[in-house]
Amino acid sequence: MQAPAADTRLENGYRYAGVMALALVSFGAVLYVFDPANVAGVQNFFLVFGSLLIEAIPFILLGALVSAAIEVFVPKTVFEKLALLPKPLQLPAAGLAGAAFPVCECGSVPVARRLIVKGLMPSAAVTFMLAAPVLNPIVIASTAVAYRGRDILWPMVLGRAGLGFLVAMAVGYVVSDETKEQLLRNRSRTAGHEHEPSSQSSGSGAWTKATSFFGHLSGDFVFMARFLVIGAMVAAALQTFVPQSVIGGVAGMPVLNILAMMGLAFLLSLCSESDAFVAASFVQFGVGAQLAFLVFGPMVDTKLGILYGATFRQGFFRTVVIVVTTCTLVGCLWIEVLFG
Amino acid sequence: MSSVGTAEGLRTRERTARSISPSRVLDCLALGSWAAVFWFLLITDRTSLYLSTRTAWVVPTGAALLTVGFLGRLLSLRSNEPKPITALSAWGTGLIVLPVITVLALPPASLGSYAASRRSTFSSGGIVASTEEIASGNLSLTDVAGGLRSRDGAAALTERAGEEVEFIGFVTKDPGAPADEFILTRFLVSCCVADALSVNVRVVGAPPGEFKADEWVRVSGKFYPLGRDVIVDSTDIVRVERPKHPYLSS
Repeated sequence: MQAPAADTRLENGYRYAGVMALALVSFGAVLYVFDPANVAGVQNFFLVFGSLLIEAIPFILLGALVSAAIEVFVPKTVFEKLALLPKPLQLPAAGLAGAAFPVCECGSVPVARRLIVKGLMPSAAVTFMLAAPVLNPIVIASTAVAYRGRDILWPMVLGRAGLGFLVAMAVGYVVSDETKEQLLRNRSRTAGHEHEPSSQSSGSGAWTKATSFFGHLSGDFVFMARFLVIGAMVAAALQTFVPQSVIGGVAGMPVLNILAMMGLAFLLSLCSESDAFVAASFVQFGVGAQLAFLVFGPMVDTKLGILYGATFRQGFFRTVVIVVTTCTLVGCLWIEVLFG
Repeated sequence: MSSVGTAEGLRTRERTARSISPSRVLDCLALGSWAAVFWFLLITDRTSLYLSTRTAWVVPTGAALLTVGFLGRLLSLRSNEPKPITALSAWGTGLIVLPVITVLALPPASLGSYAASRRSTFSSGGIVASTEEIASGNLSLTDVAGGLRSRDGAAALTERAGEEVEFIGFVTKDPGAPADEFILTRFLVSCCVADALSVNVRVVGAPPGEFKADEWVRVSGKFYPLGRDVIVDSTDIVRVERPKHPYLSS
């Protein structure tokens, strides 16, 4: 009696795939026939949407690649040994490890998830995830290039790295009581794709490992990419329809100017490797407000909100927003006092 | 001699028991469609419509990595427990493929006057051009914008007032401007067009009503920096094709 049920599921699956393919082809035909270039806003939306994804997709894949390599090739004992480090050392060590991971924020999310699954202390993995996009050498170098020749070069470069490191550790500290089960979202509810068996339980042959590696790679990619697409869609819509000049009025207002730049960083969802060039363009805003843009954006933005929501438990994103906003605000006020 | 009962026989039976997993086919579709879009960008030379020259390496890297991922998944399509496609996995994959359709179906285009109107007026601060670069050689739009970000840069620009310049950009209309004026705009991109910053110069002495918004033109004339405004008193304006690299790179 089970075979007909399996056949029905299979048939339904093909029907879903057929409807999806038909919807995509129809969408492509509509785009082709009604050229969006006739509506400037729509064309702008598709350009920004496409460019955000063309830049981010290889990094998502790179993150999935590292994540799959950790799952298949790094034995659990490595993480058990790391967990033996004294607790006060774990968060700083995780934050500094981010400096050796030169990808932007999209790539660090699947890696952090995998590290937690493999047994790394969840708070250390969260610290790593938030610190990597701020501390990695490419980001530090691009910040230095963007502020080259300015009086605030060193406050911006060192302030970004230092404050980013502290804020990442603060979030790690706040979630330090949570276990793996409490912190991670049950993926089966949101994944909808095939679950890969653990490589370590399914054999050790080269073919088995390769199959497992590509299974985890595609699983992580497919899982993250769909949420990245939604995030890029929202970010492109905001970039297209909300003019950047809306925040110009608060440039001279203490505290509000910092909050406004954090809000802008959230809306724009820029890659941490390029955001310094945009921050440096807001010359009417002081050093503290520009720094807030650079520290807040790589940890909290539209697309990350959706990725965090899909990866972590309900409420995690709210925790990150509260801690990152508070710490960034306090840190940037201090920077404003010292260098403004 | 029968292979039943032998190790080879077991492996043969195992292989025949494995069948193609429909959900893995969807993974292939997601990876393969994105690999195709990166190859498409490479072959059609459209990378510069989305990314700066500094980050163009992402496209060949992405094409190679996604192709490896796609082939790896293609070779592991068979499973002992094939999973059917669910509504969630079908629509999730559709969502991933959706941007691929937009990139493939849309004609080549770059940011234009609409984007210039939405981006802030704080446009030139992040542009990197040193005072030395501004002071010597042919003046470029990057030099102009970079010169407006510091007192030294502005002084270097002032030194060059009255010199002949030639700039290429697209026309942006300022509603309050006289009929013989328009703004010549070019975007400067650091990573992707999401971080584009506009570089603007005011062109005066243009034939009234001849140039429409978003038309690409080459403007020749004399250059005069006035405070945060830069004016080009045009002697010649001709329509040109959109450049292969429509965005400037920092």
